[in-house]
Amino acid sequence: MTLRVGVVGAGGISPTHGGGWQALGAEIGVYSLEHAPRFAERHGATEYASLEELLGNVDIVDVITPTPAHVEIAKAALAAGKDVVCEKPMARNLADARELVALAEQHGRKLYPAHVVRWFPQYAAAKAAVEAGELGQLAVMRFNRAGQMPRTPWFFDDEASGGIIMDQMLHDLDQAVWIGGPVATVYATETRGEPGAEGGLGDTRVGLVTMTHRNGAISLCRGIWGAPGLPFWYSFQVAGTTGLLRYDSRHETGFQLTRASSAAEDDGSYLPSVTSFDPYAAEIADFAAAFAGGPEPRVTMHDGVEAVKIAEAALESLRTGRTVTVEEN
Amino acid sequence: MKIGVMSFAHTHAVGYTTLLKGMGVEVLTCDPDRDSSVEGEVRGAEMAAQLGVDHVDTYEELFAWGPDAVVICSENTRHRRDTELAASHGVHVLCEKPLATTVADAEAMIEACEQAGVLLMTAFPVHFSPQAAQAKAAVESGQVGELMAALGTNNGYCPVGVRAWFLDPQWSGGGCLVDHTVHVAELLHHITGARPVVVNAVKNQIMHAELPGVMAETGGLVTITYDNGFKASIDCSWSVPQHAPTWGGLTLELVGRTGVVEVDAFATRVGGWDSRHNGRDFWLPFGTDMDAELLRTFVGAVEGRLAGGNDPAPAPDGNVGLLTTAIVQAARESAETGQPVEVSLPG
Repeated sequence: MTLRVGVVGAGGISPTHGGGWQALGAEIGVYSLEHAPRFAERHGATEYASLEELLGNVDIVDVITPTPAHVEIAKAALAAGKDVVCEKPMARNLADARELVALAEQHGRKLYPAHVVRWFPQYAAAKAAVEAGELGQLAVMRFNRAGQMPRTPWFFDDEASGGIIMDQMLHDLDQAVWIGGPVATVYATETRGEPGAEGGLGDTRVGLVTMTHRNGAISLCRGIWGAPGLPFWYSFQVAGTTGLLRYDSRHETGFQLTRASSAAEDDGSYLPSVTSFDPYAAEIADFAAAFAGGPEPRVTMHDGVEAVKIAEAALESLRTGRTVTVEEN
Repeated sequence: MKIGVMSFAHTHAVGYTTLLKGMGVEVLTCDPDRDSSVEGEVRGAEMAAQLGVDHVDTYEELFAWGPDAVVICSENTRHRRDTELAASHGVHVLCEKPLATTVADAEAMIEACEQAGVLLMTAFPVHFSPQAAQAKAAVESGQVGELMAALGTNNGYCPVGVRAWFLDPQWSGGGCLVDHTVHVAELLHHITGARPVVVNAVKNQIMHAELPGVMAETGGLVTITYDNGFKASIDCSWSVPQHAPTWGGLTLELVGRTGVVEVDAFATRVGGWDSRHNGRDFWLPFGTDMDAELLRTFVGAVEGRLAGGNDPAPAPDGNVGLLTTAIVQAARESAETGQPVEVSLPG
């Protein structure tokens, strides 16, 4: 049976999702306030004029709009009996995330947050090693993510996006939980650059989040929304009682270009370069398989709630300057 | 020049003694306090014999010898006593890090040296890292824009089996929070000049907990907010597994508005695989001997004073020793209470 997926939203993340659905031979529909024609052309999708029309013609809905629109669209899709993929964060706040889960359960539909870093093979390898006990008992973890700041303004509206912590750093908060287990406390700090300073350079941000885990492990996440043109990279170090794993996406890539000019070339992307692997396609393939009755993928809607819960605690810590206790499930 | 080495408690005493001899300095060692050591630790006259240096049994004899300066390598909680003793004899001091385990002790040490008119330096060798100097130059020339935040790491072996006192807060003041936070904190001060305001820390005692004598934290993460809004996190954990090819290292990532500069102070090495150790990496370090740079700076400053000069102590001095001690004191309190703590610094 042909996969019929409706993609809602057609912004910066859309090529990765579009490519993933295309690779599965899906029949793709798209509804978006902006860029729908471009998406339709790029991915051979059918454009719909309204969400209702889209919902009438698909079985799966993939929500890749800006964060503030996730909840209403996902609710409409679930209420219409669709299975749903939702970009991260699943919702801007915990209450909304929980409401989505309740709605999915009520309608008997599947809901998956696109925590794509779980499909990056480096993190999957670390997770597998930890699960196999190769590091012994986990003790100290660090997760870093850096790149140029997003270009669309809503990312910098804290109400809309939750800033770097709820947006970019959600990936590493999720990794800390995925690899290190449930979180007990969160402490967050952030530095923001003055948008007007240094020749109108944008609102660069650096976030630092420290967590304690219920199993006693401790973790640190560092995120950078840097100046335009800053390359994307990510790294981690996971230490346990019998070993230590580390990874840096800038090293051991198997490719090195050395040139007379050191000028960095900006490819205009704030997504990581994925050449020898495609975690986005792998993620969507797993979601599609689960929708078709296959095994549960490596992320659940409850993981989506958990990540939002931690990010929300981090934002509260940022506001109050205090360490915030995360409620137990 | 005559320099006394006070105590073999800290194993850096071995390297410092050897380097000082190589610099043509007359060295006399004295290791009178063995109460922190356990069986198997080579101390006192035995250690001095291995190093080929003279040794006396009491500090009275050491100071009767008339040293121009001392290098203090005693247990952390004895730094104050030994610094005050040296100052009372009008002898210049290079004290092993951390300068002290409390702000009060560090302040008293600075006061004692000021009153006696002697130099006080804190032994932060990584201050002399050429990579750190490159990073400082890159920051100062604006290559990464205004600094926003930093992430430093000083991960290493758990010092078990080297000196038992490192793992006993009675002597060390704490575990890795005390041992490993200060190097990165000193570099941050060197590069930014900013003053710490609030410190948050978490710790655990999971790694190496099965080893005998581990009585303090082996994992720690410290976050510092500075007076200018700059933030820094430091991973000070003893997280390098015991069979890793090298003891550990120190890294510092400085994030500016327009770029990121990263220091790996122990990156210069020849690598490879060593089949005698199950194919683990060869790790043949090379590059600047930072301990030697530290000692040359100290000896140079002492020579200046002996020649009648009155220059203040060069960096890293007692003040940065105090500043880093204040960060650690706040970190220890925060790790206990679970909440951020204001840094207690005079003036």
